[in-house]
Amino acid sequence: MYEAVHAYPDGDATVARQAMTAARYGYDGIVVRTRAALEPADGAGSEAIPTPPESDPDGIADECGIDVVDAVEVDADGPREASGAVGNHRSEHTVVCVVGGDDRLNRYAVEEPRVDVLVRPNAGPGGFNHVLAKAARDNGVHVEFDLGPVLGETGGNRVRALADLRKLREIVTYYDAPHVVSANAASHLELRAPREMVAVAEEAGFDPEWVREGLRAWGSIAERNRERLSGRFIEPGVRRGRYETER
Amino acid sequence: MKHLPKHLRPRWRYLAVGIETWPDAEIGRRAFQRALWYGAGNLLGDAGSADAGLKLLSFSFSGGAGEAVVRVRRGHVEEARATIGCVSAVDGEPVGIRVRGISGTVRACEERYMGRAAASSTQRDVAFEDADRSAVVRGDAYDVRTESGYVGAAAFDIE
Repeated sequence: MYEAVHAYPDGDATVARQAMTAARYGYDGIVVRTRAALEPADGAGSEAIPTPPESDPDGIADECGIDVVDAVEVDADGPREASGAVGNHRSEHTVVCVVGGDDRLNRYAVEEPRVDVLVRPNAGPGGFNHVLAKAARDNGVHVEFDLGPVLGETGGNRVRALADLRKLREIVTYYDAPHVVSANAASHLELRAPREMVAVAEEAGFDPEWVREGLRAWGSIAERNRERLSGRFIEPGVRRGRYETER
Repeated sequence: MKHLPKHLRPRWRYLAVGIETWPDAEIGRRAFQRALWYGAGNLLGDAGSADAGLKLLSFSFSGGAGEAVVRVRRGHVEEARATIGCVSAVDGEPVGIRVRGISGTVRACEERYMGRAAASSTQRDVAFEDADRSAVVRGDAYDVRTESGYVGAAAFDIE
């Protein structure tokens, strides 16, 4: 199971600390949402300056024994800016997320097949409906279920977060749109072990296996995209074979 | 009062809980018990909270790390796990918390899950982000003091 975390400078713990904590909690890997925290895995554009060790995903992965995936969260004001940013980051980062929360951004994210995950769709004034769910299913965009407010907030904020999650769950499960689950941890203290995440979600009315699927989905997104970014991939179903020589 | 016959006594499960905070935080036993009960009341409601029990049996904490044994009624372990997962702050101090394991007796719980690697913390000057800063070191965990509070780092970031 994977978890998607924020890291320093966006959060209060470095990638290595998050990875260390996640490894102890029993995760198979972490997806680092903070663009500034990691160099892209393929080392593109960094020939002149060697990657500093604290931002090298492979080094951290070797040290902690779990997978470290470089990702980016596109937090734009509108669909046009988001579209530009997605185009820029798609070829450099393994996982591309778009921060939702606004009706136009939610709509843009689910209608763009280059986007992997629509994160925090309920955070702002925006909503989610059947039209977006169908688009997300057709374009293979995963919808994030953010358990952060359930774990960290109290009172009215938490009730609203739970109500939003329930509505989102009903829509997403009805149309069978892909989903991911995360606690949106900004520091190693906000991270929770997979069994705790499942237990909390179960109290909130989720099916435990469905939540585990959502945690595993981060890993399958990373695996698929790594293959696509590798040189062997030409298009879905077509790849460079053993007998092809470099020209 | 005369104690209950064995078949009427409640059955318990004992949860070993690991706690982690920033190094300057001080959390006490009573505050942690209060956080557990409030958390259970908020997540499970009064009835569910009474069913689960969640009584703190032992608690130790020093230098940003601690552990506790929590007693829970058998059959309500998943509710208790959810409650513990929702404890995000004690006395206003953010905490990282996890259930290390579950046992049927206090003794098994302590033998199997408690008292390991409670490495003592030391103060050290480290190089972090091209600047010399002071850090509190506990095993591989380095909590570096910066202008805007602590940043959690690992040995890997420092070397």
